[in-house]
Amino acid sequence: MTYELTIEPLGQTVEVEEGQTLLDASLRAGVYLPHACGHGLCGTCKVQVLDGEIDHGEASSFALMDFEREEGYCLACVAHAESDLTIEADVDDEPDALNLPVRSVTATVTAIVDLTPTIKGVYAKVDDPQGLAFQAGQYVNVSLPGGGHRPFSFANPPSDPHTVELDVRLVPGGLATTWIHERLAVGDRLDLAGPYGRFHVRRSADLPMIFLAGGSGLSSPRSMILDLLESGCAQPITLIHGARTHDELYHVDELTALADRHPTFTYLTAVSHEPEGSDWTGARGFVHEVAVAHFGNDFRGHKAYLCGPPAMIDACITALMQGRLFERDIYQELFISAADTQRVRSPLFKKI
Amino acid sequence: MTMTSEPTPAAKKKLGLKERYALMTRGLDWETTYQPMEKVFPYATYEGIKIHDWDAWQDPFRLTMDAYWKYQAEKEQKLYAIMDAFAQNNGHLGLTDARYLNSLKLFLTGVSPLEYMAHRGFAHVGRAMPGVGARVACQMQSLDELRHAQTQIHSMSNYNKLYDGFHSWRHMHDRVWYLSVPKSFFDDAITAGPFEFMIAIGFSFEYVLTNLLFVPFISGAAYNGDMGAMAFGFSAQSDESRHMTLGLEAIKFMLEQDPDNLPIVQRWIDKWFWRGYRVLTLVAMMLDYMLPKKVMSWKEAWEIYAEENGGALFADLARYGIRPPLGWQQACDDKEHLSHQAWSTFYQYQGAAPFHTWVPSPEDMAWEAEKYPNTFDQYYRPRFEYWAEQEAAGTRFNNATLPQLCQVCQIPMLFTEPGDPTRICYRESEYDGETYHTCSDGCQAIFDHEPEKYVQAWLPVHQIYQGHCFGPDADPTSPDFNPLLEVIKWYRMDVGTDNAPYEGSRDQENFQAWKAMQTKN
Repeated sequence: MTYELTIEPLGQTVEVEEGQTLLDASLRAGVYLPHACGHGLCGTCKVQVLDGEIDHGEASSFALMDFEREEGYCLACVAHAESDLTIEADVDDEPDALNLPVRSVTATVTAIVDLTPTIKGVYAKVDDPQGLAFQAGQYVNVSLPGGGHRPFSFANPPSDPHTVELDVRLVPGGLATTWIHERLAVGDRLDLAGPYGRFHVRRSADLPMIFLAGGSGLSSPRSMILDLLESGCAQPITLIHGARTHDELYHVDELTALADRHPTFTYLTAVSHEPEGSDWTGARGFVHEVAVAHFGNDFRGHKAYLCGPPAMIDACITALMQGRLFERDIYQELFISAADTQRVRSPLFKKI
Repeated sequence: MTMTSEPTPAAKKKLGLKERYALMTRGLDWETTYQPMEKVFPYATYEGIKIHDWDAWQDPFRLTMDAYWKYQAEKEQKLYAIMDAFAQNNGHLGLTDARYLNSLKLFLTGVSPLEYMAHRGFAHVGRAMPGVGARVACQMQSLDELRHAQTQIHSMSNYNKLYDGFHSWRHMHDRVWYLSVPKSFFDDAITAGPFEFMIAIGFSFEYVLTNLLFVPFISGAAYNGDMGAMAFGFSAQSDESRHMTLGLEAIKFMLEQDPDNLPIVQRWIDKWFWRGYRVLTLVAMMLDYMLPKKVMSWKEAWEIYAEENGGALFADLARYGIRPPLGWQQACDDKEHLSHQAWSTFYQYQGAAPFHTWVPSPEDMAWEAEKYPNTFDQYYRPRFEYWAEQEAAGTRFNNATLPQLCQVCQIPMLFTEPGDPTRICYRESEYDGETYHTCSDGCQAIFDHEPEKYVQAWLPVHQIYQGHCFGPDADPTSPDFNPLLEVIKWYRMDVGTDNAPYEGSRDQENFQAWKAMQTKN
């Protein structure tokens, strides 16, 4: 049995399985709720049920008082849904989130392009004439032929909801990416569900933006930047795309042309493992090193959006913070896996 | 009264919790005109911490005063119901053993008064903070701490009419030699500036070290049948989560406001980690020696709460340029030794402590050896076995000389050199023509940075030798004057009961007799 859990003030709806806690369902859907002890003793994850029925689970009578139970509060880390639910949680309202409904659609592959030796661009047309509306930075789940699904970020701008571009890097031994690289053909049908995710541009902040992308993590930043430029954003935008070698950089011509056409847009690249003595004349090093050099180690007054492998994200967050840009101005796609909830993590940071 | 119909305004979006909280807690103060603001907040700048924008303070929790009173009222109802039931049903006879009570005596004399000092400290610091968000959070923590002090005292006072050593905890806290360790720790914190206090207590103690204090104490209560102390623990834990988030917000806020704050905060973390760690020596001893039914070893507790959780925290703080505290590695290395060295010291000074000590039984020593395979049999078992022989021969070892104390942590010089558990560690510093002694590199570094503060320390042993620790009726000129006995009397210990070895103590006899009455006719 699955119920729908709507989290106010975000207005986001996530699915909660029978026996799954409200906290677990929220975290797995990318909605961070404050929490600490994880077993009903401290009260950090207290939320108010606005509509629906819950089971309080093992909530301590000291962490959740009788009068609070009467007022509809529960502890998300131990409470289970017994109907569809609406809760109000202590999370910041996001004025820039579009909260688009999740839909399941089919799409037909129209082209598969080699972007780099390891990354293919998969282009598909959504069969439904309505298309699939999404917000730049979000992702879709692609169903796999043998069951299960994998998330991929939209690489195209949301202005054309009929098209889906997914840039997929071949992960050695990866089931899904191997299938896409070796089996998927033009004319095939894809089953898609989405859009998902809360990674989006905080446009209302009206601040200059830094996009740091590693490898195929370029997808979301590219979608966001194309969207910003199409809609006449006047704030400075800087994109730094990093790869191991220069032939792993892609969409270079398009991004270079955009930078030529838009004086507010700066496009930089960084290659970390380019062989010595190759004909590459651009910057060598990691994305965060190029960022520190470009901004003179001072990132204050920006919003930063990060997308890429964990080691790159980690190095970039540290560099940004050393350059005095902190958690409230740093955004990244947050995938929380079952392993993450087991890992010992300090509560110092919430979303980075 | 009739109402004219007016066009209803478009439904406004409901305010989020954050906005509602801001409306109720912000904008409560004003810019003074007849006095400059730096006179209204005189302690806000002298520590060197630079704050540019108090509005950037993120409320660590959103609780309003009216909700706060409701919560705490219901918590109290529940807690006192449990405590009353425990007392009325002779709950003390459900304890594993009367030895358990000695950890309560230690807690009541050493820790509960600190809760009261934390209440005073947060009230003072809240007043000193120019930012209203920080002020409101400190105010609530101040009230929490007062409640913790009261409820601890009440939950333990039930034992006072039945057992020895519970009667004069407040008087003793200000006088007894080893109680100057927790007392001076907190006195050091509340005489610091407001930002240092937040790092000392809000961050280092409440966040980094509190689990090492409370989890063993509360779990120890649960394992040993003390429902009163256990209920207190649950009632406090729902407050502690707020205290931890306040400490974390305070350190983030300082580090984000100005790069010049980093070296100052780092120095405070180094200092207060070590200060707090030294106080926890008492907890190590409680876990490994004082609980009849043991919860976990100090080493295990250290590995979970310090190495694992603290390690994750310092990994995150590294992003700000903060490194782990200076004494961290030594504390990790010493986990194999700390409790054994501390219990040995208290055993020797039984006559001067208002709780009972004992030589661990052969079963307990087997437990120690299992938990400390690298150190117990090699370094500590021979000592305890020797003392057991001495006791059997009727010549219990009592140390009649006074120990040298560390000028900073005020613990007797009982700790050993890093890497050599057979040699006592001594450090010396010169200040203003005098020599001062410290127990470790950590305490020496603290002394050397602020010698003018620590030369003022009220060191119990020095005070005894200077003749400041006798009652008004003591007569040092009398031929049979016994200075140590006079000190014990000045401590208000009942000589021969409060400070007796556990074997043969009144607590032991009574507990056994009452247990027998419970089950026989």
